[in-house]
Amino acid sequence: MSFTERLANMDRRVFYWILFVALMVPFLSPIGFPLSIAPNTQDLYDGVTGDSVAPGDIWIINFGYGVSAWSECAPGVTVVTKALFREDARIIFMGPHYDVELTMNKLLEDAGADFAGKVYGEDYVFLGYITGGESAITQLAGDMRSVYPQDHHGTDLDDIPMMADTNEWQDISGVLSSDTGDWGSYFLRQWQVPYDVPLAQIGISMLGSTGIPYWLAGNYFGMSVGSRGGAELEKLIGELGEATTAMDSISVSHLMIVIAVIMANIGVITDRGRES
Amino acid sequence: MSQVLKREVVYAVTGLVTVLMFVEYFFFAETWSLAETIRTWAVIVYNISLGLGAIQLLRQHTLNLQRKRTNYGYSAVVLAFFAIMFLTGMMGYLATGQQTDNGIYNWLFVNVYTPLGATLYPITGFYIFSAAYRAFRARNIDAALMLIAGCFVILSNAPVGEAIWPGFATIGEWFKFTGQIPGMRTFAMVGALGMIAYGFRALLGKEKGFYAGGGDE
Repeated sequence: MSFTERLANMDRRVFYWILFVALMVPFLSPIGFPLSIAPNTQDLYDGVTGDSVAPGDIWIINFGYGVSAWSECAPGVTVVTKALFREDARIIFMGPHYDVELTMNKLLEDAGADFAGKVYGEDYVFLGYITGGESAITQLAGDMRSVYPQDHHGTDLDDIPMMADTNEWQDISGVLSSDTGDWGSYFLRQWQVPYDVPLAQIGISMLGSTGIPYWLAGNYFGMSVGSRGGAELEKLIGELGEATTAMDSISVSHLMIVIAVIMANIGVITDRGRES
Repeated sequence: MSQVLKREVVYAVTGLVTVLMFVEYFFFAETWSLAETIRTWAVIVYNISLGLGAIQLLRQHTLNLQRKRTNYGYSAVVLAFFAIMFLTGMMGYLATGQQTDNGIYNWLFVNVYTPLGATLYPITGFYIFSAAYRAFRARNIDAALMLIAGCFVILSNAPVGEAIWPGFATIGEWFKFTGQIPGMRTFAMVGALGMIAYGFRALLGKEKGFYAGGGDE
């Protein structure tokens, strides 16, 4: 058996161990590669800071992701929450994922210093879990109380100061949908296109290819893609966090995948040369 | 009578709701309360379907357990955890109005569900690494082009790519922001046209996939 054949037939567990050991390196000795900012991330950050946000504006942050996607979505959501709070904007948190409460608790922890100066019901509100798919998102634009008569804690929306005069799309200054699937496009079809409500997406890496065309077309005013997007946002706000830490691991794992592809194809080229 | 209920009434309701939604969207987007009421019904029906799903899940796994079907042990785990989470959640809800105000419920969510959920997604990285070696082979020119483009995009996503050679980022970004856009826009347009065609077929009663389990005409 030739060397390339032996490589081709290698037990997959060997690959798992190689990657496992390689991923240990940045944890034991952080590398800290420089990070450039993608234009879509810069647009997202510009859209939630400075002149784009007025004090008192009400924004929606949609948690369309669960625990499994925390590493990709949570850092970006943490940064935009901090950025909006620092502009004195008010935020409605909600989510169509059954992990929504865990995700909210994580955000309260990760952006604890920013939440500390805010009052529940006046500066932010947590509406909780939403079901109903795109119909519910449509309905939310016209009559929030028909979808959420109460907040997550069971308080009537009419009894929450921030929500007293908030019930439809006109009362909302922008939507940030963070998700692993379709929720950004629901808001796009039901909020951005008909009413021109500013919309941005904080998605997992896989959503980059589907979301970027909408950003280029102006439907999304910005977009953060995966952990890298989160790390770029952390760099922009000047507070490095989870995503920045993850960048070293991402560098190692991505590099290992490219090396695996190159090695596999050396075998293919060698075999082809031998056959000819 | 049952056939009438199963077919004609379903067609009529679907057609009526579709027309109402079309008219509302294009002519009375902000003023028509009837359409809003129907959408509220849709949300309620959606919520009811969640309950039905839970009942069906319990029924299916109970049957698996009773008849000792293959891997019925997993069904026992599902039923046990369903019972624990439901009961502890209800206890918390009845005591304080919030299901998460229960120690067992919280402990299971934070110490079992969260680590498992967080592990599930990253573990795919190991499979991708193994698959990259076994499957990503340039057996023809198309596969070679895809692999080369893929490697540039991978290296542009990871900061290490830029550190090795800044050109990786430039070329990878060209693929992300220019190269793939026409293809994705085409997919989006074709998908949208397909949805319109599907909607019309459903409206005309020619698409019966979702009517009482029927197939195409």
